[in-house]
Amino acid sequence: MERPHWVLLVYRIPREPSRHRVAVWRKLRDLGALYLKDGVAALPEDAVTREQLEWLQLRVREAGGEATLWEGRPGTVAEEAELVEAFRHLREEAYRAIIAGAERLRRKARLGARAPLEQLGKLEREFRAERRRDYFRSPLRGETAQALKAAREAMREGEGPAGTVGAEGKP
Amino acid sequence: MLWATRRGCHVDRTACIWLIRRFIDPEASFAFFGDPAEAPEGAELFDVVGARLSHRGEDCSFETFLKDYELEDRVLREIAEIVHDADLMDEKYARPESEGLDAIVRGMQLSLPDDHTLAGHTDTLYDGLYAYLRRETL
Repeated sequence: MERPHWVLLVYRIPREPSRHRVAVWRKLRDLGALYLKDGVAALPEDAVTREQLEWLQLRVREAGGEATLWEGRPGTVAEEAELVEAFRHLREEAYRAIIAGAERLRRKARLGARAPLEQLGKLEREFRAERRRDYFRSPLRGETAQALKAAREAMREGEGPAGTVGAEGKP
Repeated sequence: MLWATRRGCHVDRTACIWLIRRFIDPEASFAFFGDPAEAPEGAELFDVVGARLSHRGEDCSFETFLKDYELEDRVLREIAEIVHDADLMDEKYARPESEGLDAIVRGMQLSLPDDHTLAGHTDTLYDGLYAYLRRETL
């Protein structure tokens, strides 16, 4: 596998009004970017990440700040491996929260309580968003998928007559 | 007519290229640039900051094209929703197709870094998406 290229947004944005700084920070967080330093955010390069950072660069400039976009890669394979690990680590907290939420729903369903489907839908949406910014397949991704599947199955079993489950499987 | 956009196309731009070729300008030719300063003179720019045919309000460029060229086709409207979700990732239309489309076109761009080659292949992809949605909405 060819080594990935990286894009870095190096930026400085006025402290006030704080909304621009917060909006940029929030967008970078949503993209799953890793701050290498204050004002230096990195993403693995592809058409999407580059484009998103281009829009952000513009946004910073419009807010009266300075921003430059860099492409590159760390000097050594070891440094690159560390970077990849840091990206994986970045996703763990969110995956753990989804796993905990799914566990709660599964226990509820097992106890016979009617666990609302909307809550499962919300967790699944969060999982999709998380997976999209999980560029290097954090080890918890599989565990999260399993936890959601277990919750879904427990809730389906709690739905009542087994016939409803079987009916879904029929062509 | 010569159309130009930024290099390294993803869903929005590849979908716009398909839309131009199939619905707006069958004779279209395309240029891709790294820096807007390198854009060929007289070319119609799209999905470029400040261009007429670009993101506008909440819309992605594909949606802007549909509005500006008054393309009132149900299937194109649906493709616009999918392109919007894949491009802006705001789940505005919650189209399940957008996640797959994002993965496929993102990967195609990594394996086909030449935009002319990429767009040739993505044209087929959008033809297929159009045919599929059209059958669904007959």
